[in-house]
Amino acid sequence: MEKARISSIQLFLLLTGFLYGSTVIINPALGAKNDAWLAIILGGVGGALLMGVYVSIALLNPSRTLVEILRDRSGKFVGNAVSILYIWYFVHLASLVFRNFGEFMVTVTFPETPMIIVIGIFAVILVYAVNSGVEVMGRLSELFMPVVPVVVLIISLSLITTRDFTAFLPVLENGMAPVLKAAFGFITFPFGETIAFLMLFPHLNQKGNLKKIAALSALFLVVLCLVIFMRDISVLGSGLMQQATFIPHLTSLLIPGLNVEPLVDINLLIGGGTKISVCIYAAVKALSQVSGIGDYRKLTTAITTFCVVLSIWVYENVLEMLSWAEKVWPYYSIPFQMVIPLILLFLSLKKRVKPSNVRNGS
Amino acid sequence: MAIVLAAFIILSLYDLQRFIRKKEQAKVFVIYASLMAASLTVSLLLAADKRPASPAQLIEWILKMIGVVK
Repeated sequence: MEKARISSIQLFLLLTGFLYGSTVIINPALGAKNDAWLAIILGGVGGALLMGVYVSIALLNPSRTLVEILRDRSGKFVGNAVSILYIWYFVHLASLVFRNFGEFMVTVTFPETPMIIVIGIFAVILVYAVNSGVEVMGRLSELFMPVVPVVVLIISLSLITTRDFTAFLPVLENGMAPVLKAAFGFITFPFGETIAFLMLFPHLNQKGNLKKIAALSALFLVVLCLVIFMRDISVLGSGLMQQATFIPHLTSLLIPGLNVEPLVDINLLIGGGTKISVCIYAAVKALSQVSGIGDYRKLTTAITTFCVVLSIWVYENVLEMLSWAEKVWPYYSIPFQMVIPLILLFLSLKKRVKPSNVRNGS
Repeated sequence: MAIVLAAFIILSLYDLQRFIRKKEQAKVFVIYASLMAASLTVSLLLAADKRPASPAQLIEWILKMIGVVK
């Protein structure tokens, strides 16, 4: 295995960046309208539990990647077959984030530029980051991730005078069902997607901190999303928020006498960049392990090229992208994010219990 | 169409000359060529305005067939 090591703070920032990722553009919790704050909290609790499952799998199988765990627990043939499905899932996820990023940039910042150019240039930078290894990805997150909460705070504080703090009332006007549905969406996007980190966890230098890191990053995202939601709904109001496509961008335009629009773009670049690079790293590393190729870097360009092409191919327009992310993605993700990891956890626990039973028996 | 071809030729030549110089295993060439060929085929179809059914549509169709998505 690659000898690269990342520190606890680097993994925390990578996880936070990954979770924040494209929630600037698509936040499933907003499906609960006024009660999105409740969906964010409930989804955050569920998401933290789901991340706990992934962390437990990693702790029960120390120094092993997802592919190695799958092979160990379910045999080489089944393990490789499921690993190939996961490679597809990571590639698909990377291409969806590429598309989110491209749609946002082309709609908001560069309306005259073809989307493939925007995505292509971003991809070149990310190939460089992924080829530099997990240590460089960790250091990059140390450098850039602190900018994200600062930007959120700058925009939130700039709008402190133009707010209606009762905009999120009445609470539970439409009952609990939309809140639970939105909370489920928030669990699968972005918390469940951290399954990709099972390819990165073996690189952590202090495995004992893994649970703490996962819990803190989940808490950090919930707080960040709550701040963003409260800011947006109190500034825009519930009606406008439901109609807008890129809500944080619209909010940033309302700051009087100050153009902070590029700051939203920067946040997306950092979050999206972290998420895509982790997904590409996970896909390439998994592919290299399945095919028995020693160095994952040989396939990075090919996988990233495929992700870029897939990002253009996958949806016809921005509305299809938003609708698919809300209606199909949560259900499509269930096997990858919940079913297979729970089976893996069960098999890992069973394997751990077995030797002690044998000793007791003898 | 010509731009798409040019981009793929540049990318492939850059990587392949590296692979040949380092005498990589055949499976590296096979996986690389398969991924690039798939990407090039889809790119050319998209450039020619003949968009094939996307994986997203296929996944949605499967989930609708199972009854998970309405």
